Amino acid sequence: MSDISRRKFLQTTSASALLFFSGLNNTHAAPAKAYPSKKIGNIRDLKPNEPLAFNYPDEQSPCLLVKVDNETIGGVGPQKNVVSFSTLCTHMGCPLTYSKGRLVCKCHYSMFDVSRNGQTYQGLASQWVAQIVLRLDAGTGNIYAEGVEGLIYGRIGNLKLS
Amino acid sequence: MSLFKRKDSLPIPPLDAEKYTTVCQYCSAGCGYNVFVWPEKRSGTAKSNAFHVDLSQQNQLLSGFSYTETMHNVITRKNGNKYNLAIIPAKESRINKGDYSIRGGTNAQTAYTPTGHTKDRLKDPLLRKENGFVAISWDDAVEIIATVTKSSIDKYGADSIAMKFYDHGSSGLGFEDNWGAGKLFLSGIQTHYLSIHNRPAYNSEVWGSRERGMHELNYDVDDARLADTIVLWGANAYESATVFFTEHIMPNLQGGSVEEKKQEFDAGEPAEEGRIIVIDPRKNATITVSQDINAERVLHLRPNLGTDWILANALARIAWENKWYDSDYLQKRTDMVTFEAYKSKSLQLAKSLDAVLADAEKITGISRKEMEEAAGWIAKPKTGGFKRRTLTLYEKGIIWNMKNYDQVAAIAQLNVLTSNVGRPGTGCGRLGGHQEGYVRPGAPTPGSIYAGGPPKNVDNYITGGGGKIYWVGATDPYLSTPNSKFFKKSVKKRATNLLDYLDNGGIPSDPKAYIAKVLEAFEKTDGLFMIVQDIYRTHTSEDAMLILPAAGWGEAVDTSINCHSRLLRIYDKFLDAPGEALPDWKILALVGNKLKALYEADGNKVMAERFSGMEWKNDAEVFEAGSHEFGDNKATESEEARLSAECYKGVTHEMLRKLGNEGIQTPVRQDPATGKLIGTKRRYKYSFASKDGLFKWYGTDAWTGYPAEVAKYVDNPAYPYWFTTGRSQHVWQTMYNDKRIPEKLLTVPLPYLEIHPNDAVKLNLKTGEMAEVFNEEGSCLALVYVNDATKPGLVFGLMYHAKGTMNNLTSSYTDPKTTIPWYKGTKVGVKKYTGKLDDAIKTVSLLSNNDFTTS
Ligand code: SF4
Ligand code: FES
Repeated sequence: MSDISRRKFLQTTSASALLFFSGLNNTHAAPAKAYPSKKIGNIRDLKPNEPLAFNYPDEQSPCLLVKVDNETIGGVGPQKNVVSFSTLCTHMGCPLTYSKGRLVCKCHYSMFDVSRNGQTYQGLASQWVAQIVLRLDAGTGNIYAEGVEGLIYGRIGNLKLS
Repeated sequence: MSLFKRKDSLPIPPLDAEKYTTVCQYCSAGCGYNVFVWPEKRSGTAKSNAFHVDLSQQNQLLSGFSYTETMHNVITRKNGNKYNLAIIPAKESRINKGDYSIRGGTNAQTAYTPTGHTKDRLKDPLLRKENGFVAISWDDAVEIIATVTKSSIDKYGADSIAMKFYDHGSSGLGFEDNWGAGKLFLSGIQTHYLSIHNRPAYNSEVWGSRERGMHELNYDVDDARLADTIVLWGANAYESATVFFTEHIMPNLQGGSVEEKKQEFDAGEPAEEGRIIVIDPRKNATITVSQDINAERVLHLRPNLGTDWILANALARIAWENKWYDSDYLQKRTDMVTFEAYKSKSLQLAKSLDAVLADAEKITGISRKEMEEAAGWIAKPKTGGFKRRTLTLYEKGIIWNMKNYDQVAAIAQLNVLTSNVGRPGTGCGRLGGHQEGYVRPGAPTPGSIYAGGPPKNVDNYITGGGGKIYWVGATDPYLSTPNSKFFKKSVKKRATNLLDYLDNGGIPSDPKAYIAKVLEAFEKTDGLFMIVQDIYRTHTSEDAMLILPAAGWGEAVDTSINCHSRLLRIYDKFLDAPGEALPDWKILALVGNKLKALYEADGNKVMAERFSGMEWKNDAEVFEAGSHEFGDNKATESEEARLSAECYKGVTHEMLRKLGNEGIQTPVRQDPATGKLIGTKRRYKYSFASKDGLFKWYGTDAWTGYPAEVAKYVDNPAYPYWFTTGRSQHVWQTMYNDKRIPEKLLTVPLPYLEIHPNDAVKLNLKTGEMAEVFNEEGSCLALVYVNDATKPGLVFGLMYHAKGTMNNLTSSYTDPKTTIPWYKGTKVGVKKYTGKLDDAIKTVSLLSNNDFTTS
C-alpha cells in the first residue's frame, strides 16, 4: 500500500479500526436488545395509593405501579392516573418508598413527584427517576410494562447487565 | 411522554481516556470531581474502563460511584472533533466521598457545546450599535476600553471608573482571576468605587468577626461530625451546602460518628449522637430533615426578622449566669479590657437576668424557655464537667440581616465566651455560599467604621450620576443588587443617554473615532459606559456598551478553597472556551498592559508603573504572582493565627495537580524546622488573629427598632406581610446555567412565594396559583406554594430567578457600619393574580418541599 492510499484507508475506516482496538466490535455485532413486554397488573385490581411492586426490565430492577388521585404525565387509564417508576433512587441507589403522591428516599431525602414525570422536586438526585412506559389493554384491563424512559440507577445501560 | 429527551445508556470511557481532577463549580461544600474526556467514537468496555468499575453488574446502593444521565455530555473541541465528557463525583475526596447534589450532578450539562443547552455562550467581544450588538476584535475592544479608561482617569480622576466584580472562587473563578482584577483595579486604576458581586460596596460581610481576631472559616468538615451540638443560624445547609449537610452533619445526628468522637474526645468524655439547633424564621428542609432523623434532638427557633443579635446576647447572658464559661480561657485568650464593654452592652450585667430575658422575649418573639434550652445545648458542660463542643455556622440570614456588623459580632462572641472555637467539634463562622479564592492588593477601605470604614456605596454613586465607566464582571446586578428596580432604571437611563449621543450622526466604526465620540459624550452628558464581562448575556448586559466573553469553569486552570475545610485544590482545564472567550485574568491583563503602554507613550512613568506586573504568560504565573501578597509564611503550628486565612504561598499548580482531590488546607505555612509546606486543619487553637493574639470583645448596640427604609411599612396596612428571601435546592444564583438545563427549568420554572395556610385563606390563594408581591420599591409575579414553612404574617420568596427577581422589593438600607445590605427583610403586600396561569405550572411539581414524612 502506498503512503497516500494507506492514509486514505485509515481515514475512511478509522471508526471501525478504533472499535476493533477497543474490543467493542463484538458488542456492536450483537443484535440490540429490546425492552420486553411484561404484564405487571390489572387496572381493576389497583387500589388508590397502594403501590404494586414488580421488577423490570430484569430481576435486578425493582419498580412500582401505582394509581394516584390525579392525572399524571405518562399515566394510563381513563383518568391517566396509573403510573410506574423504577424504585432505585437516581442519586446513589437507595430504595424509594411511595407515599402521598411521591417517591421518597431516606438516604439523603430526595423526593420525586410521580404525577410530574418523576421530577426531583426536592433533594440531591440530579437525574429524574426512570419512568416505566405502560400499555393498558382496554379489553382485559391488563397493564404491561414496555419500556423505560431514563436510566435506571447503577447501570451503564438499562439493558446492558451481563 | 418525557418532558425532555432522556437517555437509557451512557458511553464508557476507555482505559486511556484523558483524566482530570476538579471541584464542583457551585456551592461552598466544594465537592471533588473526576473528569473523563475521550473521542466520541471510542469506547471502553464494561470490564475495562477508565472508571475502574465493573459496569457489567448492577451497582449497589451507596457504593460511592455514580454515573447518571446528567453527568455526561458530548463536546466539540477547537480541533473540530467531538468528545465524550463525563464528570463524576470523586469517591476519594474526604469532602464528598462520592456524594453530590442536584446542582453539582449537572456539572457536565453546563459544558459548552455548539448545539446543546449552552450554545448561546458569549463567543466574541460585542459592541453596542444602533440596532444591537456587533462582534468586534479583541484588539479593538482592548483599545477602546484602555483609551477611554485612561482619558477618563486623566480628566476626571480614578474615581470616574467604578467596578462590580466577583471576589470568590469556584464557577471557573478563583485566585488567578481575583489577582488579575486586584492588579487592574486596586493597583492600577486605584478607584475607590469598587464593589463585590452582589453588594453595593467593597467590604467584608463578616467584619464583625474578623475585627474580633477571628476569620470566619476556622473549622474543618470533621468538626461537623464531632460536635455535640451544631447550630445553623440563618443557614439552610440542606438546600445550600447540601453535601456538607448529608456527609458531615447528618451522620452526626444519626449517631454514625460516635466512634470518631470517642477517638478524638478526652478520656471519659461523653460521646453520643449530635443535637442541632436551627435558628430561622422558616421551617425549611434543613429542619424537617433533621426532625425526620431524630426530632427530640432538634430545636427550631424562629426569631422575628432582624432581631438575631438580641437573641445571641440573651443566650450569652444565660450562659454567663450559669457560669457555663471557662475563666481561665477568657483571661488567657481574650482581651479583658474590651471584655468590659461586652459585659455592659451585650450581656447587660447592670440589668437583672429576668429583665434582660423579658426584653429579649418581646423583641425576638422567642420564649425564655426556648432560650434556656438553646443556651444549655450550646454551652452547658456535659456529665463529668466536660466542656460541650458546639459548632456554630451562620450564613445569609445573619450576614444579610439588619445590622450586619452587630449580628455577626454577637454570634462570634457567644461562641468565644463558651470556648467553642479551636477544639475538635467546635468552630464559629460562615457556612458559606460559594467557594473562596481571594488574593488582591490591599483594599482602600480596610474595615468597618471601627477600622477605617465605612466603604463607599457604589450603587448610590452610579444611580446618583457618579462615574463615567462601570465595569461589571460575572455578576448580574439588575437581578442581584438590593432595591434592583431603582438601580436598573437609573443605569438604563444613563446608558441610553450615552447611546443617544453616540447615535446622533451615527456610531463611528473606526475605534479611534468611536473613542473620541465617547469622550465627547462624557463631557456633554451623564452617560454611563458600562462594560459587562461574563459567560452569557445577562439582564444587565442589555444596557452595556461593550460585552466581553469570558472563559467558564473547566475552560481555564484555576484554584479555589472550599468553606468547610479551606481545602485548596486545582480546578483543571478540560474544555476549550467557546469562540474568542478568554479567562478573566487574561482580559484584565490585556487592558492593564495596554494602559501601561499608553502611559509609557505619554512619558508618564508613575502611571505606567501602576499598571506593571500584569505580563503573565499563563495561569500558573498569575497564581504565583498573587502568592506574594500573603507575605512571609514561615510559621510554627502555634503561630498559624497570624497567617492570612487563604495563604497559599509556596504552593504551585503542579503541586496541586499531584495532590488532586486531596488538596491542601489554607493557611499553608512553611514549617521553620523542616522548610516543608504544611496545611492547617483547624484554626485558633493557640491564639487569635489580632496583634496581641487576644480575642477582641465588642459591646453591641441595643435594640432601636427598624431603619426608616423598612419602618415606613411597619404600621402600614397596605403592606401587611413580613417578607424574607432564600434559595432553592435546585438552582444556583441567578440560574445563569440552570435556566438552560431542562430538568432545572421544568422544576423551578418561575419565581415562587411560600405562604402560610392561614394567610392563604385570607388571600384566597391555593398552591399552583399565582400572586403579585409588591411594595413601594417594586413588585414580582410569582407561583404560590401554600405550606407551613413560613409563619402566619410572613411570606418567603425565591431570591433570584431568571424570570423575575425578589430584590425588586428589598430596601436600599445598608448597615452604616459596613455598607452591607439587609436583603432578608422588608414588608410587602400580596395580591392574587387572576390572569391566565403560566403554562409551566402544568408540568411543575406542586408538592411541599419541606415534608419528608412517609406515614
Ligand atoms: S453540594 Fe455544592 S459543591 Fe457539592 S455537588 Fe452540590 S453544589 Fe457542588
Ligand atoms: S440515595 Fe436517594 S437521596 Fe441519596
